[in-house]
Amino acid sequence: MKKIIFVTLFVTLLLISSSVFAADKTEVQFWHAMGGWRIELLQEMANDFMALHPDINVDVQYTGSYGDTINKLNVAIQSGVAPHVVQGYDIATQMLIDGEVAIPMQDLIDADPEFDIGTFMPQVLNYYRVGGKLYCMPFNSSNAVMFYNRTLFEKAGLDPDKPPKTYKELYEYSKMLTTKDDKGNVEQAGVCWNLHCWFFEEFMAKQNAALVDNDNGRTGRPTKAIFNSDAGLKVFNMWNNLSKDGYMINTKVHDWTGSRNLFISQKVAMLITSTSDVALMVKSAEENNFELGSAFMPIPEGAEAGGVVIGGGSLWMVAGKPEEETKAAWEFVKFMAESAQQIKWHTGTGYFPVRKDAVEDLLAQGYYSESPHNLTTIMQLLLSTQNYNSNGAIIGAFAEVRNAVESNVQKMLNGDLTPEEALAAAEKDCTTAIRDYEGL
Amino acid sequence: MKISTGKKTDFIVTEIILIIVSFIFVLPLILAVTMSLQPTQSVFSFPPKFFPTGFNWKNYLQAFNTVPFNRLFLNSAIVAIMVTLGKLITGTLAGYAFANFNFFGKNFGFSFLFATLFLPAELIMIVPLFAIMAKFGWVNTYWALTIPFMASATNTFILRQHFLMIPKELEDSARIDGAGPMAYFVKILLPLSKSMIGGISIINFIYAWNFYLWPLIITMEDRMKTVQVGVKMLIDAEGANNWGVIMAGTVSAVIPTLLVFFILQPLFVKSLTRSGIKG
Amino acid sequence: MRKWIPYLLLIPTFVIIVLFIYIPAGFSLQTSLYRVLPFGRGMNYVGIKNFMRLFSNADYIYSVKFTIIYVALTVISTILLSFLIAIQLIKKLPGVRLFRTLIFAPYAVSPAIAGALWTFMLNPVVGHISYFFQSTFGIQVEWLTSKPHAFYAIIFASIWKILPFDMIFYIASIQNVPGEMLESAKIEGAGVMQRTWKIIFPLVSPITFYLVIMNIVTTMFSSFAIIDVMTKGGPGQYTTNMIYRLYLDGFYFQKQGVASAQSIILISIMIIVTLIYFKFGERHVHYQ
Repeated sequence: MKKIIFVTLFVTLLLISSSVFAADKTEVQFWHAMGGWRIELLQEMANDFMALHPDINVDVQYTGSYGDTINKLNVAIQSGVAPHVVQGYDIATQMLIDGEVAIPMQDLIDADPEFDIGTFMPQVLNYYRVGGKLYCMPFNSSNAVMFYNRTLFEKAGLDPDKPPKTYKELYEYSKMLTTKDDKGNVEQAGVCWNLHCWFFEEFMAKQNAALVDNDNGRTGRPTKAIFNSDAGLKVFNMWNNLSKDGYMINTKVHDWTGSRNLFISQKVAMLITSTSDVALMVKSAEENNFELGSAFMPIPEGAEAGGVVIGGGSLWMVAGKPEEETKAAWEFVKFMAESAQQIKWHTGTGYFPVRKDAVEDLLAQGYYSESPHNLTTIMQLLLSTQNYNSNGAIIGAFAEVRNAVESNVQKMLNGDLTPEEALAAAEKDCTTAIRDYEGL
Repeated sequence: MKISTGKKTDFIVTEIILIIVSFIFVLPLILAVTMSLQPTQSVFSFPPKFFPTGFNWKNYLQAFNTVPFNRLFLNSAIVAIMVTLGKLITGTLAGYAFANFNFFGKNFGFSFLFATLFLPAELIMIVPLFAIMAKFGWVNTYWALTIPFMASATNTFILRQHFLMIPKELEDSARIDGAGPMAYFVKILLPLSKSMIGGISIINFIYAWNFYLWPLIITMEDRMKTVQVGVKMLIDAEGANNWGVIMAGTVSAVIPTLLVFFILQPLFVKSLTRSGIKG
Repeated sequence: MRKWIPYLLLIPTFVIIVLFIYIPAGFSLQTSLYRVLPFGRGMNYVGIKNFMRLFSNADYIYSVKFTIIYVALTVISTILLSFLIAIQLIKKLPGVRLFRTLIFAPYAVSPAIAGALWTFMLNPVVGHISYFFQSTFGIQVEWLTSKPHAFYAIIFASIWKILPFDMIFYIASIQNVPGEMLESAKIEGAGVMQRTWKIIFPLVSPITFYLVIMNIVTTMFSSFAIIDVMTKGGPGQYTTNMIYRLYLDGFYFQKQGVASAQSIILISIMIIVTLIYFKFGERHVHYQ
């Protein structure tokens, strides 16, 4: 008991004495959701920045997952203790804009002649431009891509240099790649992607199809979901056919690890996942003795060519801070957006470098010849037609929309609904969510 | 009360059942330990491994390098101990009041306290609670991590139940001997409740040790974070990859609680027949 | 002086719960009558619209039904199993201290990590449990993504998580049962089953009384963590209970007002359940 009292007193003294810190430097608080080894990487980059700007102190804080970070931001803003820079994820974009919590990046860029936004890739900028205004600084962007097991392709008699391009080919290939045991249990399946609305969005964008009205929410606020279309049905049918015939393994919602697990242990021959998985896949293929292949996402035969949608996160500047701190935070954001940092970030993680000059530099360094899968991913992005559909949808109620789609897909995969019914139900639920958010 | 072990077959059957049950219960942890001792790539091998094939400590080193676990362990320990003490103090006092006294407003007071069970802090009141912390200047302090959780309907209720099990005669005889209600409380009631208090302490400690959401939200610096937030730091936003390291962090976070449990067992499990009620 | 003692004893508790629980709760719950704008930018009064929407929502009604089944099954199983296990664990058996620690392990692990571990083991093709089932029984089950397996998986994981909690309290209180009663019952020829259920169980009924309501509270209010990690309320909202819906609306969809309305409904249900429980329950509890 005495020990406990002693510890408590000691700690109290510690607290009191530690509440004094150096007040000379300008403090910039940066909240992010990058865990694991990326924490160290970000700290290194911040240290590099502080070396160049000895009068600025950047406090890098891991604040949980993307969702946790938004929640923490929500709480902090309402109590006046928000950070200066925060990493928001793609689907929170409209909500962050509506919450009026940030200084639009456009304003800062316009006021700073030094900064050339033109060097950034339009594919990435277009996602984060709403109503012609850029609200946040692209930082960690990704797409969906297809990896495949060339060794298993050969074993099944397929040409590893010809990955499936259309839904029909995807189905045919999966059929050939699936092996079952004598009881009918799947030993190896053709394809897998984790149950995430993001893949539906990518499949739609690649067919140049929209999710919501008003040009995917980009020329006006969305009022209803419109994906119950030919394109939408093709996706749902493809998904359903692959599943019910046993050529696809379905994971639970958002189970990135589960799907990666299946591919790496060679239980599925094709995996659709995020481009940020390139490094993991390269290493794992080596470890597990199979040859890795990568390809663009398939589209239905004869469909309009669209593009892939940006996922990941971006940096937002929080409004309402003293001018000096805002200026310092802007310097930090600019630094993180520089080519050198983007290259460091790209090679250390798997996210795209979001600038044209960074890609040029990497090309000149011979990076892409050594790293064919990174070449696949950047090519898929660069070859994407740019229009409202491939720019991605802007929906305030995006989180709820995703949930509605995923829920109905699950019902379809379980046999409760036909693809037509599931698509219609999903569209209806999404419209309800959108109308609720927009106050209609 | 000691239950004597009867015939030999009873004994063996019970032993086997316990082994099976224990295995099921600790299964996920065995998996966690196994994963923590393998390089990440092997985690995804097939057939899935249950027991470690090597003793790869690299994951632990990496976990401790990525996250300042030493400091976090200290924080979690401080928070858990303070919250446990707080709950015990308020719980025993309040339980005593409700079990041994009759007073105006007793039933209302009990319901008022009990209803707090239906108000889970983390889900419905993070925003206003944070605002209150900000007003008190407690953001990013140990106070914010501990004081709001120092009252407990759970503790009060269980202690009340326990105190009610102790016969009135003891209290009467204490009064006859000239002991006031507080003397009775400290000298007789509490010692008789050692096992229950021991059990509750473990529950309280672990409950506080497992806090994740509130420490994540209320701390603004790495050095104030707790262990569970630290484990989360090993998991990346877009679905984790480095499961070996994550499990190393998890196992490290769980071991203290299991140690506390193992060591404190004698406090609440007695191996001798005893009954303070005799005579 | 004695008159004031109970009030003094209660001061620490009440100060804390009023300041840090009731006041914040009050602020939160009043938002149930509003539509809260993103990031608290403002609030629009909508009256009882949030409530009306919930009551007319088929998914919400389903979640209420699912909650009832989930709570009933989990609580009953947990109480019975933990009682039986606790009895074994106070015997003088070799390794009993170790068994206690191992069975206690689930409580020491946070729900998120526990869920992640179960998810690994239940991966339909490469998970450990799936592998076991496939090699032994030759069946392949999608544990977390199909009906009804997802239901069983959630209940199993919940029992797994809560049982140690009950077990501890049972261990602590079974020991306070006077040994003489059992001895005399044995002499009178009562078998093990009778001794267990007709003597020990009734004598620890005060603890059972407490544990049942505590387990109801846990399954009603804390189960969202395990559901989120294991099934995300799926497949198709199959395993979505009321607290998980609340969690989704409050934390993922950022619909503060709707979440608060759900809280009020939850709290009201709990108040009614508790009132009934206390009225009926205390009658069946034996105090010495």
